[in-house]
Amino acid sequence: MTAIDGSPGASPATPPALTRPLALRARTAPSRVLFGPHETNLARRREISDRHVAYYARRAAGGAGVIVTETASVTADDWPYERAPLAADCGQGWATLAAAVRPHGTIVLAGLGHAGGQGSSAYSQAALWAPSPVADAASRELPAELERDGIDAIVAGFAAGAALAVAAGLAGVEIDAGPLALLRQFHSGLTNHRGDEYGADRLLLTREVLTAVRAAIGDEAILSLRLCCDELAPWAGVTPEQAAEQVDALAGLGLLDLLVVTRGGPYSTTAYRPTSHTAPTFNRDLCAAMRTAAAGRLSVALQGSVVDVAAADAALADGVADLVEMTRAQIADPELVAKARAGDAARVRPCLLCNQACRVRDNRNPIVSCVGEPRSGHETEDLPVEGTDARARDALVVGGGPAGLEAARVLATRGHRVTLTTNDTVLGGALRGAAVGPGRERLALLVDWLAAECERLGVRFRFEKTVTAADLDAAEAAGTAVILATGSVTAGRAYPAPPDAAPVDSWPALSLLEAGTADVLPGGPVVVHDPVGGPVAIGIAEWLAAAGRDVALVTPDQVAGTLLSLTGDLAPANTRLAQAGVRRELRALIREVGDGRAVLEDVWTGARREIGCAAVVDCGHRLPREDLYLERPGTPRAGDCVAPRTALEAVLEGRRRALEVGAAAGRPRRVPVAAAAGTATGEGAGR
Amino acid sequence: MSATGRYQYLFSPLRIGPLTVRNRVVFSAHLTNYAADGLPTEQHAAYYAARAAGGAGLIITEEHSTHPTDWPYEKLIHGFNPAVIPGYRRITDAVHAHGTPILAQINHNGGQASSMFSRQPVWAPSPVPDPLFREVPKALEPHEIREVVAGYGQVAEHCAAGGFDGIELQCSHSSIVRGFLSPATNKRTDGYGGSLANRARLLLEIVDAVRAAIGPALVLGVRICGDELIEGGTTIDDAVAIARMVEASGKVDYINTSIGVATATLYMIEASMQVPPGYAMFIPSAIRAAVSLPVVGVGRFKDPLQADRALAAGQADLIGVVRGQIADPDFVAKARAGHATDIRTCLSCNQECVGRMGLNRWLGCIENPRTGREAITLPTPRRRGQRVFVVGGGPGGLQAAVTAAERGHHVTLFERSDRLGGQVQLAASVPSRAEFLDIVRNLIAHAARLGVDVKLGAEADADLLLAEKPDAVILATGAAPNPPWWAGGAVSSGPDAGRRVVDVRDVLEGRAVPSGKVVVVDELGFHQATSVAELLADRGCQVEVITNGMVVGQDLGVTLDMEQWNVKAAARGVTQATDLVPMGTAPADDGGVVLNLQHHPTGTDQTRTVDWVVCAVHQRAEDSLYKALRAKAGDAAGELPFSLTRVGDCLAPRRAHAAVVEGQRAAVSL
Repeated sequence: MTAIDGSPGASPATPPALTRPLALRARTAPSRVLFGPHETNLARRREISDRHVAYYARRAAGGAGVIVTETASVTADDWPYERAPLAADCGQGWATLAAAVRPHGTIVLAGLGHAGGQGSSAYSQAALWAPSPVADAASRELPAELERDGIDAIVAGFAAGAALAVAAGLAGVEIDAGPLALLRQFHSGLTNHRGDEYGADRLLLTREVLTAVRAAIGDEAILSLRLCCDELAPWAGVTPEQAAEQVDALAGLGLLDLLVVTRGGPYSTTAYRPTSHTAPTFNRDLCAAMRTAAAGRLSVALQGSVVDVAAADAALADGVADLVEMTRAQIADPELVAKARAGDAARVRPCLLCNQACRVRDNRNPIVSCVGEPRSGHETEDLPVEGTDARARDALVVGGGPAGLEAARVLATRGHRVTLTTNDTVLGGALRGAAVGPGRERLALLVDWLAAECERLGVRFRFEKTVTAADLDAAEAAGTAVILATGSVTAGRAYPAPPDAAPVDSWPALSLLEAGTADVLPGGPVVVHDPVGGPVAIGIAEWLAAAGRDVALVTPDQVAGTLLSLTGDLAPANTRLAQAGVRRELRALIREVGDGRAVLEDVWTGARREIGCAAVVDCGHRLPREDLYLERPGTPRAGDCVAPRTALEAVLEGRRRALEVGAAAGRPRRVPVAAAAGTATGEGAGR
Repeated sequence: MSATGRYQYLFSPLRIGPLTVRNRVVFSAHLTNYAADGLPTEQHAAYYAARAAGGAGLIITEEHSTHPTDWPYEKLIHGFNPAVIPGYRRITDAVHAHGTPILAQINHNGGQASSMFSRQPVWAPSPVPDPLFREVPKALEPHEIREVVAGYGQVAEHCAAGGFDGIELQCSHSSIVRGFLSPATNKRTDGYGGSLANRARLLLEIVDAVRAAIGPALVLGVRICGDELIEGGTTIDDAVAIARMVEASGKVDYINTSIGVATATLYMIEASMQVPPGYAMFIPSAIRAAVSLPVVGVGRFKDPLQADRALAAGQADLIGVVRGQIADPDFVAKARAGHATDIRTCLSCNQECVGRMGLNRWLGCIENPRTGREAITLPTPRRRGQRVFVVGGGPGGLQAAVTAAERGHHVTLFERSDRLGGQVQLAASVPSRAEFLDIVRNLIAHAARLGVDVKLGAEADADLLLAEKPDAVILATGAAPNPPWWAGGAVSSGPDAGRRVVDVRDVLEGRAVPSGKVVVVDELGFHQATSVAELLADRGCQVEVITNGMVVGQDLGVTLDMEQWNVKAAARGVTQATDLVPMGTAPADDGGVVLNLQHHPTGTDQTRTVDWVVCAVHQRAEDSLYKALRAKAGDAAGELPFSLTRVGDCLAPRRAHAAVVEGQRAAVSL
């Protein structure tokens, strides 16, 4: 492979390097952007579903060069999560997908894998199989040691799955040897303690698999390997140095066309696709080293929080990689490549690296989606935003947070004349405040993007404007559509003080964040009260600790930040808190605050203890700001002013209300409160 | 004495409104996660039909949602979708075939939900976030309250059309009605908040709507929470007053009861073996004293005599036996036939029933591998009358022996020790875990009834098996303690006992008797560490439990044992520390042990100087017989003269459920 010839000095008119084609064996990828395999929970039973097809086809239409489908298990004993595809059941779905993507030229590879000891026995109701009986660090389940017949079945399963994928019309396959893969467990001294030839030669199984797969798919099809090149456990795990030797050996086989460089192992599965607390494009050096080891014998893809077109282009220009995996970036904006190709890279909806909706390896089987683009994963049910409504109307959006901005953006996109008012001096609402603290800054990118899109679409902004019910009456009389997105107010949680005690400052979290400095708090220990278990309190605790404050985080839970488990940030967040010296007061209710002390009570035993407390930061739930709504009940509203939740619900509801404006032409704009039961109004609409 | 004579009340019929039940045992409503795409399945029908065939007096299905805003967990039945009706009909036909009446529970979970699946705001009386889901709900507007009420009426019509004998309104532990009834979640200032009469207004409107929908010929019941066990929540006085209002409506035929809030105090709703049986009967007792409607009582009823005594004491008119009939669908039939001792008694271990619900998995049972698989017919044996040798008398071997014998094979079970039960005997030797022993007691009794030839103190080695040439050999040889690397060879298991780093099994089997200061190292996250900690603390030890994880005994949360463990630990002065990785041990001056630890988040070192270290760590598979047989086969350059299967810990040391399902699977595959 030759290095990309784009250079940082190229003229602005030069299309980004990532939009250039890439030859892969007999095929040409239309761009150098990969949409990598990831859990979606879109499967029907263990099949690739119509929802999958729509999800991938949308990325293909948006310019993705290579798509690797959700990893399918190659043998039926491997069932790592309930909706994990099973290769043997995927033939029909792969064929439908191949047909759907064909017009776009995107190369589609079937992801094939086996989770080994990192799987789950819950669905198979049978033992896990792994190189050695080493319990997985996350599940603590002890696997059985694979015997020869089991190994042979797995090799045959890879070959059969690959043959099926190619027969279905896919361009080839990608074999998983990444952070959650059996093949990696064989590569690693952490998990491979075998005394046989598969222990002496840890790459043996992977070589057998690649050889069998190449034989099964023939010379024309593409063969990719997703390889963990750093298990982040140097005492026994795969190190970058070992990985370079592996890459050299595997490239030397002459079987592979593509290598995707990843990191993460049994103790660090979340390092694979981490939140924004890890800087983007973190695998640059690792990938460059592997590309050197590969020495042009195959194409190399950079993986790892690659979310920015410029950073991706720089990696290509610098010879770090031949293509870039931008998975979450294309969940956030399926048209990323198309926009870059059109010279509109700045218009790409940013990935926040928040992992709130796209990381769905969770018992509840949530559908993959995106905080900023909630239609992702819901392509078959949600209408697209694009398009023009039959009748252009005047529209008034009250509120400049994510709900109001998304409503305004969608209204303007669909041809309406939009005015957005805010009582604030800036846009962004609560999300702007939430974007404070180490690793939280990217949250602001969404409001910046929404504001820029609104601006581009001609939305008129009115700052520091208080809208009254009379204004809404006037708007309605003038035929203007109204959407309320007035956000939330503090719940005003009271912390009882002992009799005659000197009071202690109590700050709602958002107010403190908006103040922007810890200096507004009195000196002494700060108690961060987190009844939610969410990211806000963790962020504030880190922010205060970084400002040199003595911080205690009080939570009723056994672990701080329990809601972070979905994002993969639970263990990393607790590690950061420990390293920052934040004391975690677990299983605790705050019973009294006064005289510089807080009285905590154990949630189960009722035992009380005291900690120092010069100020309390209340990170608890907020209440809807609904005074305006209550004056005009039935007015369409979205986001926190319905019920204070996350940015996802704000964007989703802002969009829905905006789409309803066009859909509601000819229907009453406001349904009387006394309307009969069953009438859909406001946020109830669309059921 | 006749069987029914043994029970004073259990088998006396009872009239419930328009319905007469043949006995007093209710298979009360509970989640199963058997639904697919929001619809009831074939598995639902087979599951309820098995309990109907087994003699249950009345079956009440799991909840059916009354409105699209209600979707707290993935596999909820969407009763509001008319497409449910054919699935309802399949259930009711299957149950009615056994002459058993079946009611549908209908519900809206209100604020005890999230928007994850519905993508709609959560509805509740007031914007008070639920303690589990932690999502601020939308306070219902008046037209939405009417929509909720109408939804109940509509779903009741679906249920009637689907052939149900009536409706139960779940107003008790996870419900929008509970939300309105409870002062903890209802902060409204309109006609639906404030006084109890106001808070009960929604309930009574729903009663009216449902009765109007189903007419007089079907049963209508209301399930009420007697004590939410939360601050500011509903307590028994309110519950009694609510029951009176329900009765005064003249439209309700019975009252069911429960205790706790599903999203706050679930451990008291589905209490594990740590909570005494009958713990919630103060609720039906109080309500029954106030109303004349039949009242159902629930709460860890494990055997028919216990249920009969509660009836005799006037605590209730009907008894809910849920887990008892999950474990043994023939609970009632066996009691009626005078074979109550044959009942496969529930352990209240919660591992595969309750424990799976929160994990979005299908309901099963640790000791009944057919639970949750009733709709799947087992294959007929390839050949009946095979000679089957089972080696090992723990739960895996016993289950294999029982299933093989049930399927017509001639079974010999070899156990090298002098008693059956394997490690279950150890697990159950801790007082608060004693009921866990029922799993092997039930299996031993079942094996005896089936004529399994049990050979105690009999070591079956490779030579014996090859000489005897049975048709099949099932190995269930268990596991042995496996000293962790960091113990530095100091572990004393077996002959060199006496040193101070020991396995949990060394303690429970009496080879080691720790005293003084003890650290228990929990790398398993289940009962092993917490049980031995409790045991040693009761013996006067000063105990600390440490784990490399974030929580000691993490999976106790799944089985609802976490709360009691922590209360007991605190009462016994047992301390806990997390995120600590053992890095090595060294002898201490006084004959004790220095345990070196690393706090992995910060990379800092710690030590503990103690008298004993007890390891709750993974064992190693006891697979020497398997390896010997494979070696013999290799020597013979051919196949063994019998089929060979490993089940349970000798394949990979895990929990009892794995042994049971694998034992059953091995026997079924013969």
